[in-house]
Amino acid sequence: MRSRILSILAYTGAGLTLLVAVCVPFVLIQGFSNFVAHAGLHIDATYSGGTIARTVERDGYRIVVYQPVQPRLLERVEPFVQIVFEPADSLPSRVSDEIDLDGDGRPDVRVSFTMPADPNAPLRGDVTALNATYISLTNVGGESFSRMVVRTGNKIVVRVPLNKELARR
Amino acid sequence: MASRSPALARPPAFRGVGRSILLTLPIALWSLLMFMPSFQRAGRDQHIGALLVILLMTTLFFLMMRTGETYRWRRIFFVALGFLFPVGFIAALIAERGTMSIPISRMVSGDTPFCFMVTPSIILPAAFARTIIFPGSILPSAEHPHSIAMMIGVWFAMTLVLGKAWCSYACFFGGIEEGFAAFAKRRRLHRFVTKYGSILRLIPWAILVFVVLASAALFEPVYCMWLCPFKTVTEFPAVRNLETAIQFGVFVALFVGLVVVLPLLTKKRTQCGFFCPFGAFQSIFNKINLFEIRFNREKCVDCTLCQTSCPTAALSKESIRDGKTLLNCMKCGACVDVCKKDAAVWHLKGTAVAVKPERARLLFLYGAWALATMFGGSILANSVATMVHWLPWK
Amino acid sequence: MAALSLSASAGEALVLGLATGPVCLATCGPVVVPWMMVQPQGVRLHSRQLFLFLAARLAGYLVFACAVWLVGSAIPHAIPHAWTGRSWLMGGIQILLAAALVVYAAGWPHRRCVVAKATSALVQIGEAPVPKRSGALALGFLTGINLCPPFLVAGVRAMQLAHLSAALLFFVCFFFGTAIWFFPFLSLGFLKRTPAIVTVARMVAVLLACWYGFSGASILIERTFYG
Repeated sequence: MRSRILSILAYTGAGLTLLVAVCVPFVLIQGFSNFVAHAGLHIDATYSGGTIARTVERDGYRIVVYQPVQPRLLERVEPFVQIVFEPADSLPSRVSDEIDLDGDGRPDVRVSFTMPADPNAPLRGDVTALNATYISLTNVGGESFSRMVVRTGNKIVVRVPLNKELARR
Repeated sequence: MASRSPALARPPAFRGVGRSILLTLPIALWSLLMFMPSFQRAGRDQHIGALLVILLMTTLFFLMMRTGETYRWRRIFFVALGFLFPVGFIAALIAERGTMSIPISRMVSGDTPFCFMVTPSIILPAAFARTIIFPGSILPSAEHPHSIAMMIGVWFAMTLVLGKAWCSYACFFGGIEEGFAAFAKRRRLHRFVTKYGSILRLIPWAILVFVVLASAALFEPVYCMWLCPFKTVTEFPAVRNLETAIQFGVFVALFVGLVVVLPLLTKKRTQCGFFCPFGAFQSIFNKINLFEIRFNREKCVDCTLCQTSCPTAALSKESIRDGKTLLNCMKCGACVDVCKKDAAVWHLKGTAVAVKPERARLLFLYGAWALATMFGGSILANSVATMVHWLPWK
Repeated sequence: MAALSLSASAGEALVLGLATGPVCLATCGPVVVPWMMVQPQGVRLHSRQLFLFLAARLAGYLVFACAVWLVGSAIPHAIPHAWTGRSWLMGGIQILLAAALVVYAAGWPHRRCVVAKATSALVQIGEAPVPKRSGALALGFLTGINLCPPFLVAGVRAMQLAHLSAALLFFVCFFFGTAIWFFPFLSLGFLKRTPAIVTVARMVAVLLACWYGFSGASILIERTFYG
């Protein structure tokens, strides 16, 4: 009797497995991906740059300043602040902007770069720190996740490393 | 008239042609259904790719039904998938950006396609910090079709059906080493593998634990950044400093060693069986999967042919004595096909062992082959279309 | 902000405990495994012994947390940077950590968990039908204050925390992360897979050693050539 019940359950399970297999491309893939998409997850700030702090409007483009990204205990990335210039198509051929990163009304860094004529050409730029919290960068492209001046799509992404000791306080 | 000698006599077919065709019909219809969109909207290259894949998958399934064998027909599909996936993937990369390397700008813009092998690494940070430690995009979009949510959805849905059989019917990397293992004529290092198999089998688990915990501690996908041999045939972080140069060296060394050389020497899937942490992770799902391979102890003569033929050393003397495979069994069917005494059989958990094993095999194969057609088949069709597109005589 | 910082530290401690748990297993497993195996059968008895062991181990952790925080609070602000980040000290500690991990994983008898020698009298094979509470407590406390590799990393972090309560909380969370790894030993007598678990733990220790060794070496090379 027990073996018969188990057998029935087994074949029922096998049938359901086949049903699940049929449902995979039509229902399940979309269902599970929706679940993940709405699970409140976010990409690590090392890759995404963190959350937006403020946006500054300039003539024809805007500068988006992000919150500082602090590494966790054993994370190997330096602390940094991301700045995005967008849209890249509207930027002047030479950009040199002083930007207030911490919202205290005083400029903290000067970002300078020349837009190459070819959008696929590598971009390099300079970041001059105007206060000790930030670290200057010279002729930098995509050195690391905390030090870069790169073009991604229609944006220019700049990441300025923070002085670790001052950033910790 | 003299009869043919037994050695030359054609072995009797397992099943008649008519019955085999009948059993193949659902797969043929499923294949048409899966590739209908390709015929409706895509170009001629895509039509050719889709048609060839429909023919391939249907023919292979027919041969599985006709001969009663699983392993060698599945292997044809699997090796084709393993070798052709990089073709389509690399071609797309070269067309898009002219290089296989991923510049850092792509990583910060969320353009890195998510690979299922990252899944174990992201679990702990996602659970504790709601953070995905991968430079991709969570939501699918026109720019990011291979989003993280979509790929996790694909993986989980298919794993519910396949369990560890993912490694035999879905993984688009495993076919590379299966191809090299099949290419080798002699089985070298056999004694070493048999003697140290119990230790070698634990290595993927150790790497899994290490990768999961190191990724959680460092908040970076350690396996992707340091240990994935298949970066060599897909894409890898651009070499921009000593660290990335070392990473690239490790990828190449692991690929050459584990995916090419060792399979040629051992005729085993050494990367899959003795290294891959994702394979160890998938083994966990074997516990809830209904299908398995079992051994009829009354028929078994302990010839150990099954143990020798197993591509991932998922059989030991103790496990065969207990009538079971080990947890890392991929359900490829090699042991069942090679067993001369029909002691190794497909089994549906909850039913009696070796009673109607063909029924268990059919129930398993329909699900597995349907998903193989949907997933691997679409990758194959895309790769074939790419190759057709680049034909010089077009 | 303070609550956010506290929860972030707690999360870090838990993850650190989980990450270094295999090292604890490889370190203290040789002591715990034989001790648990001589316990009389019975889930209730095993649970009680394991509970006492873990409670005493937690006490050892908290004693250590107090000690390192007091040391850290006595050091001026300028020096703590030397204990973290890509400094000579961190590089050196990581190299030593890697070496210690390899030694522990290899099961070198002379360098096995320092507690093992002290507790040989506590591991009584085949004797004492009624297990003594004192054995579990002593063993737990001694393994809790054992200066094994994970302690170095956790201790360095605890030194930086602003308050003693934060350091204690850090080590409580760290304890839970490592304690999870000991629960399979609850049914030690029945688990056939236990040798496999310890073998996997030793392999993980070797992999962690490779990682810490590489990380430490890269820090020292960077400091040597780039200042």
